Amino acid sequence: MCSFIVLIPSVRIYNVNSHENKENALNEKVSASGSSPLTTHVLNSGDGVPAARLALSLHRLDSNLLIWNLLTVGTTNEDGRCPGLISSEAFTAGMYKLRFETGAYWERLGRTSFYPYVEVVFTISEPQQRFHVPLLLSRFSYSTYRGS
Amino acid sequence: MSVQRLQKLQGHIVSASKVTMAGPSSPLTTHVLNTAMGVPGSNMALSLSRQDPSTAAWSLITTGTTNADGRCPGLLTREMFTVGVYRMRFETAQYWESLGETCFYPYVEIVFTINDPSQKFHVPLLLSRFSYSTYRGS
Repeated sequence: MCSFIVLIPSVRIYNVNSHENKENALNEKVSASGSSPLTTHVLNSGDGVPAARLALSLHRLDSNLLIWNLLTVGTTNEDGRCPGLISSEAFTAGMYKLRFETGAYWERLGRTSFYPYVEVVFTISEPQQRFHVPLLLSRFSYSTYRGS
Repeated sequence: MSVQRLQKLQGHIVSASKVTMAGPSSPLTTHVLNTAMGVPGSNMALSLSRQDPSTAAWSLITTGTTNADGRCPGLLTREMFTVGVYRMRFETAQYWESLGETCFYPYVEIVFTINDPSQKFHVPLLLSRFSYSTYRGS
């Protein structure tokens, strides 16, 4: 009778071990900082203030079905920001849309606006980077740019 | 006054008379500017649609391409310009691709409300690869 002793190289054990540790480290990093790789900032350039309490939503295009999947709904805080838009894991390459409910925002301030809403559609090909998609908004104009 | 400024003024005057000769000018106009290169955004495909207020569905009104000056005359006639919500769509990635560059925005859609169609509305697009802006002009 032959018995076989399978020897697992110690190098292999070390590699498996370090992968597990890396994963744990990643999870810790996401939960500790919790910062979204995609951020926005809405500024009311007409009044020179952050656009607070403006409703917005983030969508990703399903490339097969060609429909928009709603990922996040949020409202800007007092500083016009909306933290926690998306997690690093969920942030895959693709086409995204940030929709800002600008008409409702101006209405709440008792004013009319030329734009009922603003949708900014952008392509993410390198999701390991950080992307800042701000909106500078007045009643009759808006602008956006890719920030960091 | 600089030579360039004089040329620009001349261009405005010549363009205006061209439009008059062709027919009544559209109450809605646009102008695409490539702010990265400091040139008009010429040869950019665009389309204009109106939203049906009851179904919220979009109907295509016009498609066009910007001319050498980044403009697209004759978007619509006064009769067609009714109260409603309109959408101008600019094929921005396609435009930058023809220049051998990528663009952060695959397209730009500007949705705006027209309550008083007796006025003239100018909806320009100032565009670079990584930014754009628009405003209500006259």
